Amino acid sequence: MSGLRPPAPGTDGWPRVRCRRVEGPPVVAVRVALPGGSRAETVPGTALVCGRALVEGSRSRGWRQVFREAEDRGVELDGLAGYEGIGLAIDCLASELDRALGWAAELALEPALAPDRIGWLAERAAAELAALADQPAALTGWAFLEQLYDPNPRGRPLQGSIQSLERVGSDECREFHESSLARGPMRRRVESLFGAAVERGEAPSPPMPAGTGERRRTVAVGRVDQAHLVAGHLTVGRDHPDLPALELLSVILGAGAGLSGRIPERVRELDGLAYVAGAEAAAGAGLEPGRLEVYLATSPGRLARAERAVREELVRLLDDGPSEEEVRSARDYLLASEPFRFETARQWSDLLAQAELFGMPLDDMAWRRARWQLLDRTAVAAAARRHVRVGELRFTLGLPAEGAGAI
Amino acid sequence: MSVAAGWPPPDVRRLAGGLTVGLVERRQAPVVSTVVCYRAGAAAEPAELAGLAHFLEHMMFKGSAGYGPGEVDRVTQRLGGYNNAYTSHDATLYQFSFAADRWREALSIEADRMAGLRLEARQVEAEREVILEELAMVEDDAWDALELAVLAEFYGDHPYARPVIGRRASLRRIGREELAHFHRRHYRPGGAVLVVAGDVGEEAFAAIEGCFGSAESAADEPVTGGGVTADPAPRGPRRRVELRRGELARLLVALPAPPAVDPGYAALRLVLTGLAGGRSSRLHSRLVEKHRLCSSVGAEIDETVGPGVALLACELLPGASPAEVERRLLAELERLAGDGLTADEIARARRQLVAEWVFSRETVGQEAMATATAVALFEAEHERRHLERIEACSPGQLGLAAAAHLDAGGLAIGWSLPEETP
Repeated sequence: MSGLRPPAPGTDGWPRVRCRRVEGPPVVAVRVALPGGSRAETVPGTALVCGRALVEGSRSRGWRQVFREAEDRGVELDGLAGYEGIGLAIDCLASELDRALGWAAELALEPALAPDRIGWLAERAAAELAALADQPAALTGWAFLEQLYDPNPRGRPLQGSIQSLERVGSDECREFHESSLARGPMRRRVESLFGAAVERGEAPSPPMPAGTGERRRTVAVGRVDQAHLVAGHLTVGRDHPDLPALELLSVILGAGAGLSGRIPERVRELDGLAYVAGAEAAAGAGLEPGRLEVYLATSPGRLARAERAVREELVRLLDDGPSEEEVRSARDYLLASEPFRFETARQWSDLLAQAELFGMPLDDMAWRRARWQLLDRTAVAAAARRHVRVGELRFTLGLPAEGAGAI
Repeated sequence: MSVAAGWPPPDVRRLAGGLTVGLVERRQAPVVSTVVCYRAGAAAEPAELAGLAHFLEHMMFKGSAGYGPGEVDRVTQRLGGYNNAYTSHDATLYQFSFAADRWREALSIEADRMAGLRLEARQVEAEREVILEELAMVEDDAWDALELAVLAEFYGDHPYARPVIGRRASLRRIGREELAHFHRRHYRPGGAVLVVAGDVGEEAFAAIEGCFGSAESAADEPVTGGGVTADPAPRGPRRRVELRRGELARLLVALPAPPAVDPGYAALRLVLTGLAGGRSSRLHSRLVEKHRLCSSVGAEIDETVGPGVALLACELLPGASPAEVERRLLAELERLAGDGLTADEIARARRQLVAEWVFSRETVGQEAMATATAVALFEAEHERRHLERIEACSPGQLGLAAAAHLDAGGLAIGWSLPEETP
């Protein structure tokens, strides 16, 4: 074990700990989050490999022992990585609470990051890229993100590329882990989970999203039946005052319950053009801007009709604005579905870790409700006019191989 | 004491109209989930109309006497809930989850579309196009396409060989009349189970009686599925299927498994967990870690009324030899069939499955789905009994399960190989 002792309240140099008792099945969920993520990496793929490597052994235990001891007790262990942080997740029965806390500290603070494991994780990440390249929706989605975000890290897969993964080694991961531990707040209001390094500076800023400049791009997605369409443009980040209004707008467009929302109702229910169709107004909003994103998959012969339908719906939204009933329904949906976001220990632990990582009171029910409660039709229509720009839409089309480039 | 002791059994009653109702009181959050499970899935449809049950599932959202097309989703959204539906070979399930102060809307929707589904011709035609797009999506997915091909090969003439989603030709044969007939025959109180789970008590029964009490078929006999019985899994010579697509090799092996009510089902789950469940399992240790041939391996086993199937999946690393992976996997199966799991492996697999059982019941929505499936297809105590069997399985029983199901006789082996593979 690491020899760590529990933190004294308010002591610098120790992790911030959030804890909550959750009613229900006897499950304990522990999350550790370290700020940084792929937006802080210099070699693409480092954050992913380093995050996953957190559970691949420590200074005192090899990876086999870690997993054997976990699985002997029915404990699930995962190393995590995202654009803004890395970390680990431990899910177990309540009887394993003490052990889970000890393991969380051991693995997060003193991971082995051994060269052979790092190399093997990098190789498997490269294999994942190959596997995802067989998935038309993933290929189209990557191309769209690059079209919008390049050269920002959000414009590339978390895995980086097969070439960049060859440069991710144990030294890079060790340095990345140490700087994640040492990193200060990502926002002024945040103290990182590991507050030791609050004074040592913030994460390096990655290049701003600029996009590739293409209004329209096509990507070949292999010998498949369906074409894929993603359309949109950048909107706002997590701290923008219009984000709550855009969350309502997302529900109005198609991110709500079932097949409700303008895009699925038009594309799927009315025109019968697609099985999957959805839309969001600020997808992935974080430190980097989120994006208006409409997605659908349809037969290549229907693609032009589907694209026309998407444009028409967005134009109609701007011309007429959302109706009173749409805004009320979207607001009611967001407010009344809150209990489903706080049902389980795992949901709570994810939420508390994010609250710390992002420096937002995500677990404050009154704060959450207030974000949406006062929004009316005028406010949502104004946010739509400010942030939905049909003339700036970017389109990525994933086309079956023989059709690529034909549109 | 069994972990299952923490889960009281559902309160199950049969209403005068024939509807079976289960109540699971769980007060962890102010939410209620309802699931209606009809004992009719793809196995209950005529072979030439493959996809009928799933088509009808789609149409249940396209208009009934009290809810216009798309209105079910709009109401669900306005009330802040969510809904879902799912068709298997044995059953079709419909789920709503709402805050506890408004869950009764789900009863109103379910009663309305059970008694008064509209099936307007225009809606049927539009939905057919949607389902054809869904089929294209399934066929475009490397793993989904491989699974359809392997199950067809594995089950041969059995109704489980049919794809739940149907085929292009059969979907074009399905019209309003076929849908209406299937609905009339199977979507009756006597063919359904309604489970309510969450922050609700005894008063649920009165609410349900109020909505479904006037439903027809008071004299209904319980409706069973499509004549599928708990026969043993098909046996025969080893079969192979090979697809050519994409950039990566994928292997899917289908093994015969017992139906979910068979005492041997729990034993086989333990064996499969020792084989491919987690990083310490045999296949992961050898194919992923030791020989570095695969990026991932996994095993799953469905709960079926009829003959079951267990699936082993391997995703190969680029450049790895498919022949070597297959040879090593079959050798592991043979070794396990002969020697069984060690005591350590059994203890680990048992603990993993017990934890997994608890994890899979964290939300009341999960609880409602599991209970509805159990009451409709197996027995009210099925979930608890399954866990108790996992906790109590002896090494001897596991050895028998391994020997009975892992021998190469009943296997179907499916490969999805890159197009340029020699």
